[in-house]
Amino acid sequence: MKKKMINILLTAACVCSALTGCGNNGDSTQSSTDAVENKGGNKEYDLTLYTINSTDADFGDWLADVEGATGLKINVIAAPTDTDTRQQKITTILSTGDSSVDVLEINDEMSASFKNSGWLEGLNDTVMTEDIRGEFPQGYIEDMITDKNGQIVGVPGYSGYLAFWVNQEIMDEVGISAIETKEDFMEYMEAVSTDGRYGYGGSWEKTYAFNEMAQFVNMFGGDYLDWSNPANREAMEFLHEMVVKGYTSLDQIADKYEQMNPKFNDGKYGSLFMWGLGTDYDKAGMLGEDKIHMAMVPQFSEQKYIFTDSWSYVLNTASQNKDAAIKFLQYMTSEEGMKASYEAFDRYPARKDVAEKIVPETDPSKAIYSRYANECVVKGRPMLPQTMEFISAMGTIFQSYIKDEITIDDFCAKAQEYVETYN
Amino acid sequence: MIQKKSLQWIAWVLIMPVLALRGFTTIYPIVKTVLNSFFDIRILSGVNEFAGLSNYINIFKDQKVITTLKFTAIFVVVSMLFHIVFGIGLALILNMKFKGRRFLRTIVLIPWAMPSVVIGMAGKWAFNNDYGLINDFIRRFFPDFQLSWLINTGSARAAVIALDLWKDLPFFAILVLSGLQFISGDIYEAAKVDGADWFQSFFRITLPLIMRNVLTLCIPFTLWRLTSFDLVYSMTSGGPGEDTSLIAYRITMEAFTNLNVGYAAALAVLLFLVMGIFSWVNMRFMSKFEN
Repeated sequence: MKKKMINILLTAACVCSALTGCGNNGDSTQSSTDAVENKGGNKEYDLTLYTINSTDADFGDWLADVEGATGLKINVIAAPTDTDTRQQKITTILSTGDSSVDVLEINDEMSASFKNSGWLEGLNDTVMTEDIRGEFPQGYIEDMITDKNGQIVGVPGYSGYLAFWVNQEIMDEVGISAIETKEDFMEYMEAVSTDGRYGYGGSWEKTYAFNEMAQFVNMFGGDYLDWSNPANREAMEFLHEMVVKGYTSLDQIADKYEQMNPKFNDGKYGSLFMWGLGTDYDKAGMLGEDKIHMAMVPQFSEQKYIFTDSWSYVLNTASQNKDAAIKFLQYMTSEEGMKASYEAFDRYPARKDVAEKIVPETDPSKAIYSRYANECVVKGRPMLPQTMEFISAMGTIFQSYIKDEITIDDFCAKAQEYVETYN
Repeated sequence: MIQKKSLQWIAWVLIMPVLALRGFTTIYPIVKTVLNSFFDIRILSGVNEFAGLSNYINIFKDQKVITTLKFTAIFVVVSMLFHIVFGIGLALILNMKFKGRRFLRTIVLIPWAMPSVVIGMAGKWAFNNDYGLINDFIRRFFPDFQLSWLINTGSARAAVIALDLWKDLPFFAILVLSGLQFISGDIYEAAKVDGADWFQSFFRITLPLIMRNVLTLCIPFTLWRLTSFDLVYSMTSGGPGEDTSLIAYRITMEAFTNLNVGYAAALAVLLFLVMGIFSWVNMRFMSKFEN
């Protein structure tokens, strides 16, 4: 009897513990918004920001600056550093109408996927107003962050270019002073490509090749989303011929940027297209006007073309703090906001007028970025809603074509099929 | 007896939290995955509708998956063959009596202790034509040797399998070694007295006595190969093209990159079935072997 009683008591204790545990869990599953907003009965934060910059050493200073200037108390959630995990989490937040995050930073791939989904608030009348709209790269705004109704759904956090980089030491060695046209480019290729050195280097791993494929299609005056365009075919044949003639290496099919950049630093490549301000070259002591530097994009067709990219701040449609979020976004489009980002994260201002004002002349990227903005047709990269699948599929057939596993006709037919499938 | 039976409900109550937890973390995901496999769920397109068997039918029309299935079969079969052959060989070496045996037994396990993602990333560099240690080593004997391992189908697949072996073969060998250590030395001595040479001893004593051990090991090692994802993810991203894509990698890409949840679920169910069938065949084979 005694044992029975003990058993019953123990059972009761276990059940009670389990229920208590469940109860606590139940409480803790309240939305983080509640937890954030109702601490002590007062609203502790005005908005929640989901950001990729929280690991930056200067993030604290930046946040203090933004909070000071806007008077907002901002709750920060760090986005995962892994691309796939980040995209998955952001997709889940937006698609489920989760209101615990108000403002998020998204890249071009996510912009392409989300801009027509209805998950992002239009900002034409509140943030991206007509008076400042014209100062942002128009091609980027139209291609990447404008939805089907003409609403701009993001604020570009910076302006980055897929810049043309050259090795000045190699240029001096072969006696070529500038690469302005297709003929100059080919002359440079021919002069440089010898003894294991290539005139052009790339990163043609299947998820990276897309950037250069689209860049060359642009340079030839084509349209990446229309593979019946003869210029697209010409661009692909041009890249294929570069491999055949030994102007660029087939080995780069396995290369991402982390493999490509050391080769460029080591003088294995004479030129390439690359994002950013040359951090990897700087670290290797190779950045400079007499070494590796940005140059104007060569003109292959009627105009010069260049791609721009950005991470954009977007406003979650489900946000319960839209006023605060709009205040934050307005600050991010202002001169002060862009200056804060430039100083904290080295982000080149997205607004042309602001860049002119706040970027010092000593910044080596200023002159060439101004030229890119003024002399080139600046576009956002051509992406489709099923972005990552599209990029990977295109990269796969590009590799097959370059390796002569399929013909140019097969390539173009497949490419068009993918455009239709992933749109 | 009756009293004991009447108290069984207490036992059930006590284990109920564990069962509930297991149900939530294992049974529910399995059931949900099977259900999802009959739906067309594409998060990016906002599609979520019943699709019947179309996900399963699409698997066999999808060139990416067909290439993936081919390489998965090659990867599992070739890797396991080498695991068995070289694993037994290495175990025999580690079972020999020589100076430094303990040290060797310890260091052979180092690759196994390293995370697969790290090994994959290192492998990407190791097989690089310009900076890789593999080609650097080969060029010491053949100075003109040039091969970018990861750009051609055959060499990229060989590189992935080689790296997989480098990582897991020592562990397999150590486990075979544990079986070898149970074989009494008296049996070998008796065989020697009867005039058996090394080969006869190996094929007639060693191999039959460790075979059960090896077959048992084959189950988890094959299943690990079937679910291998991280090595390919960090080393080749399935490239060139889809040539080194493994089924677990494909599922991960479909589920977490392309966000095609329904299709990924169908692939996962297919993998689950393959693993179940393989385990069943292996167990049947083992029981036959025992009989």
